Amino acid sequence: MLTVTDLAKRHRRARRPLFSALDFSVAAGEIVALVGESGVGKSTLLNCIAGLETADSGSIAIGPQALDIVRLDESARAALRARSIGFVFQAFHVLPTLTVAQNIGVPLLLCGIPTSEHPARTQALLDGVGLAGFGPRWPASLSGGELQRVAIARALVHRPALILADEPTGNLDPRTADEVLALLLERVREQQTSALVVTHSQHVAQCCDRTLTLTPDGLR
Amino acid sequence: MSARCRQTLSWWLIRAQFRSRRAATLLSMLAIALGVALGYAIHLINDAALADFARAMKSVQGDPDAVIAARDSAGSVPLATLNEIARDPAVLVVAAVIETRVRIDNARTPVTLIGLDLFSAAAVMPKLLPRQDPQAATGNILAGGIYASPALLGQLGLRAGATLTLVRGAQQWRTTIAGDLPAARPDELLLVADIAWVQEHFGPADAVSEGRVRLAPDTDLESWRSGLAQRLPAGLLVRAAEDDSARVSNLSRAYRVNLNVLALVALLTGAFLVFATQLTAVAQRSTQFALLGVLGLSPRMRLLQVLLEGLAIGAPGAMLGLALGYALAVAFTHVLGGDLGGGYFSGSAPLIVPALVPALVFLALGCLASLAGACYPAYLNRMQPLAQALKTGFAQGPAAGETARSRLPLLPLLLAPAAFALTQLPPLRELPIGGYAAIALVLVVGIASAPLLTQLVFGWLSERPLPAPQRIALQNVAQAPLMAQVAASGLIVSFALTASMVIMVSSFRVAVDHWLDHVLPAPLYLRSKATPLPQELLAALQQPDAPFARIERMANEALTIDPQRPKVALLVRELERRNPAARLPFTGPLLEPPADMPVVWISEPMAEIYRLAPGQTLQLPLLGRTVEVFIGGVWRDYARQFGAIAISRDDYLQLGGDFQPTDLALWPLPGKETAADAWLAPWSTRYGLEVADSAAIRQLSLSIFDKSFAVTYALEAAAMLIGLFGLAVTLAASVWLRARELATLGALGFDRRMLSRAVMLEGALIAVVGLLIGLACGVAIGAILTHVVNPQAFHWRMSLDIPWTAVLAGALLTLAAAVVASHYAARQATRLPVAQVLASAQ
Amino acid sequence: MRRRSFLCAPLLLPTLTPAAETRAAIAYPPAVPGVELAFPRDHGAHPEFRTEWWYVTGALDSPQADIGFQLTFFRSRPGTAEALQSPLAARQILFAHAALTVPGDRLRHAERAARANLGAGFSETDIDVHIGGWRMFREDRGSGEVLRLQMQSAQFSYDFTLTPSQALLLQGEGGYSRKGHAPQLASYYVSWPQLQVAGALVLDGKRQAASGRAWFDHEWSTAILDGDAVGWDWVGINLDDGGALMAFRMRDAHGATLFAHAAWRDADGRLRQFAAGEIGFTPVRNWSSPHSGASYPVEIEIRLGELTLRTAPVLDDQELSTLRPAPVVYWEGLVHVEGGLRGRGYLEMTGYADPLQL
Repeated sequence: MLTVTDLAKRHRRARRPLFSALDFSVAAGEIVALVGESGVGKSTLLNCIAGLETADSGSIAIGPQALDIVRLDESARAALRARSIGFVFQAFHVLPTLTVAQNIGVPLLLCGIPTSEHPARTQALLDGVGLAGFGPRWPASLSGGELQRVAIARALVHRPALILADEPTGNLDPRTADEVLALLLERVREQQTSALVVTHSQHVAQCCDRTLTLTPDGLR
Repeated sequence: MSARCRQTLSWWLIRAQFRSRRAATLLSMLAIALGVALGYAIHLINDAALADFARAMKSVQGDPDAVIAARDSAGSVPLATLNEIARDPAVLVVAAVIETRVRIDNARTPVTLIGLDLFSAAAVMPKLLPRQDPQAATGNILAGGIYASPALLGQLGLRAGATLTLVRGAQQWRTTIAGDLPAARPDELLLVADIAWVQEHFGPADAVSEGRVRLAPDTDLESWRSGLAQRLPAGLLVRAAEDDSARVSNLSRAYRVNLNVLALVALLTGAFLVFATQLTAVAQRSTQFALLGVLGLSPRMRLLQVLLEGLAIGAPGAMLGLALGYALAVAFTHVLGGDLGGGYFSGSAPLIVPALVPALVFLALGCLASLAGACYPAYLNRMQPLAQALKTGFAQGPAAGETARSRLPLLPLLLAPAAFALTQLPPLRELPIGGYAAIALVLVVGIASAPLLTQLVFGWLSERPLPAPQRIALQNVAQAPLMAQVAASGLIVSFALTASMVIMVSSFRVAVDHWLDHVLPAPLYLRSKATPLPQELLAALQQPDAPFARIERMANEALTIDPQRPKVALLVRELERRNPAARLPFTGPLLEPPADMPVVWISEPMAEIYRLAPGQTLQLPLLGRTVEVFIGGVWRDYARQFGAIAISRDDYLQLGGDFQPTDLALWPLPGKETAADAWLAPWSTRYGLEVADSAAIRQLSLSIFDKSFAVTYALEAAAMLIGLFGLAVTLAASVWLRARELATLGALGFDRRMLSRAVMLEGALIAVVGLLIGLACGVAIGAILTHVVNPQAFHWRMSLDIPWTAVLAGALLTLAAAVVASHYAARQATRLPVAQVLASAQ
Repeated sequence: MRRRSFLCAPLLLPTLTPAAETRAAIAYPPAVPGVELAFPRDHGAHPEFRTEWWYVTGALDSPQADIGFQLTFFRSRPGTAEALQSPLAARQILFAHAALTVPGDRLRHAERAARANLGAGFSETDIDVHIGGWRMFREDRGSGEVLRLQMQSAQFSYDFTLTPSQALLLQGEGGYSRKGHAPQLASYYVSWPQLQVAGALVLDGKRQAASGRAWFDHEWSTAILDGDAVGWDWVGINLDDGGALMAFRMRDAHGATLFAHAAWRDADGRLRQFAAGEIGFTPVRNWSSPHSGASYPVEIEIRLGELTLRTAPVLDDQELSTLRPAPVVYWEGLVHVEGGLRGRGYLEMTGYADPLQL
């Protein structure tokens, strides 16, 4: 579902490449943890995979059609993200001006799924993340854990091929973090979706199928 | 992404935006509404006034194919000429008309009396046909009955059968009201009688005022008219309906365009407010837009969404503006009349009738203004780096910012000479297009120089030893001056326009004041409105017992030089050929006329409209023929925008004119001022004459002047308010953007008052920058208005006179308002709970 | 008598009927017998009389047979504005009326009105009267005298020259023509039959040469209508043999004859006048107007002593309605005359739609 081949990226004005010759892949239904020290380029790698930054060389094939996001233009990247990638962020990034149900509905709108299907799919996801009845509520009234559950529902609602999660539990207390992580992994496995989870937490990494460690010298 | 989904998402976001930024959105909407409303109101009022004027003319003049009239208001069309034209087989009918002004039973205000011929009037002027009152035991129209419009009957409180005396100068006619004019307009004050009876009592002998021609249907109007024009004697002209409408439209054209430009300014300020709102909206929601972008919203949609949000402000705003404009138009016409106090159309409030197409045009203008305002914010939003924006929020500008900043100072340097060059252009189609363009450029120069000054002021201040919070705030502004610039430019535009208008109006008022000194030399003035003064009075004034040291008589007439232009006033005055400067305020040299040629002195507007200069000779259609006259000089005239010609009484008499004075200037004997008033009183009662001292005339003139600028003041006040709104909105937004920083300061121990003070200081400094540039631009624009726009549009020349006290007071007032506005912004900022801000920002 | 003497009714647009009459004060001269008419002086206007008209009716043979035409100028002295000095004073009002009958088609007509001196005028010494571009005048040419008719309207225009072939016909007693049993009911009446028509006719925008024969009447009077009269029937016929016939009768409300008179000048110039008792008008066929509902005896049997004639209209619908100076509906058109005398001319019938008002 995700195949990264010979990927290299250097920072602007930086002489040394941030990383180079990265090769790895995430199989369908596989959950891979990406760990590494701060500043080693985890977020940049994630941004490159999401098409938010452009790698200097190499390729990143995503989804069943294995489209190479490095070679797509900006609009096509946006379209690919809308269709094939779900995002979970450390800072939740739930839109405060939309209701919970609307937040979850956004990816459905972005990938053009007929609006008649939205209520049922949104409802199913809300039930799935344990937020039944939260649909009409405003994000401001939700706790951090609840917000991240909304984000998980939003990441999965359009059945993407790949989930990119950036420190999904970083802003949560340990107990809530465990619950949310368990929920995320459970839902991802249930949907047979691949996932790449960037994390500092050993615990989170252990819960994943496989762990990749990014070091200045490359992947381990 | 399907269209349906796209619409749903857009709609969600627009709704969310309105919900979360209610005040700013509403203000922007109001600003657009205001601009549209003012423009639309001016359009409606003027349209209605013109239509009303045309209708009034049509109802009195009918709808003839051509009108044969004298060029000279004292002239007339000889009966023989008219009868000859009537025999032309192409002529269906010539409706002869004698039109004059009479006073009813010595009432002060004269009324129009139209003498018509029933046999021909029906074909051309059906609205003037009288209706016999069956109750009135009087003869019909041919037997000498008179017919009054319903409005006049109501005003006089008379009905058919009543007897009244019509007076014009020494001539009188005692007659009976035989009926009314059923088709007269509701506000028309009009008398109609048979043409022979009118001629019998008021003249002109063997002539009529006008012949209104209806041609046979298959006649080629244009060639018939031009053929006739060549055969007509020099004193006559043939006028077509197109000439009439052109003349009516010329009457108020410059004034109208001027008002529309002001409305455009209001609309532009509205666009600016949309810009400020949308820019801050984009800044505040940069994280949200970045998230949507990450989730897969295409870059095109990120651009479109901001434009759509602008439109969502503009469209309802423009609709509201249309409604408001309609209401304003109705209200204004009732208070000020159809010319907004401009004095071009007299009569009562015209009926406002909105039409679809202009409404749509103004709707589109409102939407366009909001779209224009949303353009740059939309572009900024499109260019936001997603990953960075998602993490750290709004990025001030694309990477190009640095080079742009270095290029900006060059822009004013390049544009300033261009603006100056534009002011040197001649008027285009008699409109000061170059002047208007120069004003726009001056504003651009002002706005473009704002970044430079902001950077200078804030940069300099931030290096001063200031308390920490202030210094930090200032430094931040100096380094990321976009918001400060936006706030400042709003003030620049609004203050520049307001100041310039104040400067122009003040210069004009001073000039009018000086001019009044010169044209009102006598202590007392007496005039009969449009009818000649009674001979009896003139004779009595010559008697030794009359308490006057000096009397000057004058007569006012009007000449048609170009049928498409309003008439030119002809002032016959007791002037000395060699020394007219004693009575006329000349602007240039006085030339010695050739001994054998009559001399005239033309007004400034006359010289400019007809492109005449002293020393030239002029073919004047005077006294039924063409007279060659010498132009001896040009004098200043603010009273007659369409031109005036002064001629001495001696020259006029020598040309064969009949000098019938309508106005007198009187110098009472020293110490006999009260006696003079008492001496005049019975005359003024008996003949309905108007007596006024020069102080009263001066006061009246100045109050008319002030009234005619009432709308201008209203517009400027609106611009000023919008500028302040803009300042408040942008300041609030810039504070919001720095919420984290302020919160950090709060966490470090600065209390709210200190933070609030820092924000207010920042607001005040931005306002100072805006006001300084605004003042400079205002003086420049004031000079353009005074020296370019006024002479080109209205043919009024004057010198620049800057009312520093008023301008500086205005600036201080604005500064105070700006501080209050930034206080509001500061309160918003300091209300944010420190902990939440810090937590949410990670 | 004849023709629309209702024009001397107080002139005025329908909305302007005066409540009080001012014309009572005016003394109009009556028509009296024994006045010797002199020409061309008496061709001109007689403005002191209340009513006067110059009336031409005729029939064309080309561009099409039996086209009827008519042009009339009326002068009226309503008695208003008599004291005014102004040249525009409405002391003399002129009306003009023109009509054209095209067989198988329809009747067209046009009219004009004006006060004298304002787009209109008349001569007091010869035939010359005009309203705007409409004009009827006499011209002395080297070859003799002619009458000229000029009129223009949207539907039709013509410019005809009428050349006399016979002398004037002074009706009644040397031009003094009685209209009733009372001696003051009379007019001065001069006819000029058998005029040769040549000129141009513009019909529906097409200009064509025209020729035919016409009849001229000039009549001035102060009072002609008996109090019981509601209308009259009148004919003026150019006979095929070169003779001329004029006949009229005044009717009361029951259709009975109040007064009648006729004059026949044969081809040799012998004049025979018929007294009221010798004259009979008998309707033969009536035509009902779809416009006004009035029923007109368009075919009339006229008995003149031992002679019996019959009228046959070239077109049934020659009904006219005019609004100026007052709304009047009447029938006036070209007819053939057969029987004891044969010819073509105009038949006028008034007072069938509404009684004529004086």
